[in-house]
Amino acid sequence: MALTFYLSRTLGIDIYDTHDNFIGKVCDILVEQNPVKTEDNENARPKVTALKLKISKITRYIDFSNVSISKVNGRYEIMCKHVENASDAIINKSLPLVQCILDKQIIDLNGRKLVRVNDVRLATIKQGTYAIAVDVGMEGLLRRIGLSKSLNAILKMFGTTLPSKFILWDEIEAIDFSNLNIRLSTTFTKLNHLHPSDLADIIEDLGKKAKTEVFSSLDDETAADVLEELEPEAQVHILENLSLEKAADVLEKMPAHEVADIMDELEPQKAEELLNEMETESSNDVRELLEYEDDMVGSLMSNEYISFNKRFTVGQALDELRKQKPEDDMLYSILVTDDKERLVATISLRDLVVESPETQLHQIMDVKLITVFDDDKIDSLAEIISKYNMLAIPVIDTASKIQGIVIIDSIVEDLINKGKTNKR
Amino acid sequence: MLKPKKSFFAKLAIFFAILGPGIITGSVDNDAGGITTYSVAGALYGYNLLWTLIPSFIVLIVIQEMNARMGIVTGKGLADLIRENAGVKITFFIFIGLLIADIGNTTTEFAGVAGSMEVFGVSKYISVPVVSFMVWILVVKGTYKVAERIFLIFSVSLLTYVVSALLGHPHWSEIGTAIINPKLEFNTSSIAMIIGIVGTTIAPWMQFYMQSSVIEKGLKMKDFKYTLVDIVVGCVATVLVAFFIIVACASTLHVNGVQINEAKDAAMALKPFAGSFASQIFAFGLFVASVFSATILPLATAFYVCEAFGFEAGIDKKWEEAPEFYVLYTGILIISAAIILIPNAPLISISLGSQVLNGILLPIVLICMILLVNNKKIMGEHVNKPMNNIIGWSAVSILIGLSLLLLVLPFFS
Repeated sequence: MALTFYLSRTLGIDIYDTHDNFIGKVCDILVEQNPVKTEDNENARPKVTALKLKISKITRYIDFSNVSISKVNGRYEIMCKHVENASDAIINKSLPLVQCILDKQIIDLNGRKLVRVNDVRLATIKQGTYAIAVDVGMEGLLRRIGLSKSLNAILKMFGTTLPSKFILWDEIEAIDFSNLNIRLSTTFTKLNHLHPSDLADIIEDLGKKAKTEVFSSLDDETAADVLEELEPEAQVHILENLSLEKAADVLEKMPAHEVADIMDELEPQKAEELLNEMETESSNDVRELLEYEDDMVGSLMSNEYISFNKRFTVGQALDELRKQKPEDDMLYSILVTDDKERLVATISLRDLVVESPETQLHQIMDVKLITVFDDDKIDSLAEIISKYNMLAIPVIDTASKIQGIVIIDSIVEDLINKGKTNKR
Repeated sequence: MLKPKKSFFAKLAIFFAILGPGIITGSVDNDAGGITTYSVAGALYGYNLLWTLIPSFIVLIVIQEMNARMGIVTGKGLADLIRENAGVKITFFIFIGLLIADIGNTTTEFAGVAGSMEVFGVSKYISVPVVSFMVWILVVKGTYKVAERIFLIFSVSLLTYVVSALLGHPHWSEIGTAIINPKLEFNTSSIAMIIGIVGTTIAPWMQFYMQSSVIEKGLKMKDFKYTLVDIVVGCVATVLVAFFIIVACASTLHVNGVQINEAKDAAMALKPFAGSFASQIFAFGLFVASVFSATILPLATAFYVCEAFGFEAGIDKKWEEAPEFYVLYTGILIISAAIILIPNAPLISISLGSQVLNGILLPIVLICMILLVNNKKIMGEHVNKPMNNIIGWSAVSILIGLSLLLLVLPFFS
């Protein structure tokens, strides 16, 4: 039969062996760090591996396989059949619940936010003892203070109980390891499934150490998406604390204009170091954009765009797109050039898709060009984009040579930021 | 050639850009409770308690420096750190205490609003509901940041206490002697007064407020010397204002033997001795300080309580996202305003009670802080230097000593 119990109720319990000899007091419960999904354990719950005990002032870890927990007259009793020290290998691969979970912040993956753990619920079944859920509710908090039973008794008279809230183990990610002396080799794999902008919100709320730790555990693609979404202060903090290599890897995955924005926030020396570490191709794009003043269109534009010669056929153009696999926003405005590489028209993805493959681009392209110069003021953009209902504006220089495109997202973001600074 | 003069607004913008957490915290520090305590101290004891401002000043700087350092190094609020390291029971005790004390403190702020407006002939049954509703709307509608800035400009008006003080023609030589060699009998009421002055200058909730504003500002350790300047300027401003309030009341009310119980009484009583202008300036300063703190205190309290217990909090969250936060905030505001509106409410006992609670909480919060800031796992290389610890621990022991003395003295007299 399954026995469920709370972490807080087991702390401080005296443990005895079969001959009633005192072994120690429980001061922490260790569980597997990276539980594996098996047939018996579908939700990959972590198994309890060891107990941390205190005997007067000495700490000691004992293996959990010989330990049994039972409930006698409403109290928990812990017995150890055969005392055996837990090996270092086990201890290093385990997560101490009191040090890393209890009272700490964890990520609630479903609620996509940080929550504070009031208690941990464990269960003993015949395969072993597992941590099954964390308690983040009011009841858990009051249980810790020793008020939950009496309050619940009072509330029962009014036909209600204290609100309790549990989150199952596979829906959380522990992130606070600041109390540990050794560094855990945890990878926060579950986090890669969260939306980058939710993840960015969570990371912003974390303490400084945890910010860098969680961020550096993400894969490069996710990390790049998250970095884009972070507030400038958090971006700077993370880039300053990340290894140069990792930072450069992440930045290479980001669009050049986003990288240029971040570089503006960093100290010049750090920015230079990062640009040198990045691949030349990526860093050159960024350096070009950094040349522009803050209020110029050039500082907001993206220099990644799609352009075709006007004599291309629709079929050729589509083939080229399949080959390049561009990002969504690069397709907001597809540019068409003449033989001298000058911008002559734009064409929409819709037209490319609906026309027959043999049609040449100049037959269907839109020659009513709306463009801006790279040294125009940013303020003019919002009006143009709303007047002509555009998703992106091509940017050219005085010789009609293409410099890039400004995407509507960048303009909106710029407007929001300006609104914020005016208010503050 | 002379550079063209910057416009008033351009200067204002620069002023705001360098304004830091220390200065803001310093301004919020001189709230209605503070002004009341300083005026009563000045009226009762003349210049004889001025010396207490010197140790208060030193302790204030040391504490705020620790707060700033902790905030910058960890990026975590003080409530977070206490919960994570001191355990749930101490956390529960501190924050329930803080909640009750802050309801009392907010009540004092509203008493300040009511009192100062009465000087201008406005009934409290109008001023208190209007002000509390405006404060509530301000925060719930999310224009809090703007408001904070406006209040800050107005809080410069606290410096008008200098004018009030000078209009009362203080005796500078007596002030000097009183600071170096105060004539003071140690009895229950004078010790209570000293604890009151220290407790209102170093209120426990300020520690939490300071640390979160440092985090919000996104400061870095390598700019710490600027933060230090910011803290010192803030502390000097706080203590200077306190000094002039005591002087203003001492050189007029004390000399003429006028007894007062509230800051409002001080404003009223100044009139015959220093003129109606001094009295109105005093009342205006009191009004601004009260509204400023009545906005920040309930908000800050709701925020720390939620932080410690793990509820969502923040004015950028919607009501549905952070119900506990908004219920707490609204509750503190309503309860405090309601207490003021009860006819013949025991205001003096409430303000005294919350001061005593502040006095009990302060050493506990300080002990937690000193332990945290000495913890290598949390602070790394930025743990306390021996000097910080000496001043910190002596402040704690003196505070505890004074509180104990206050409890024991009645049995001997």
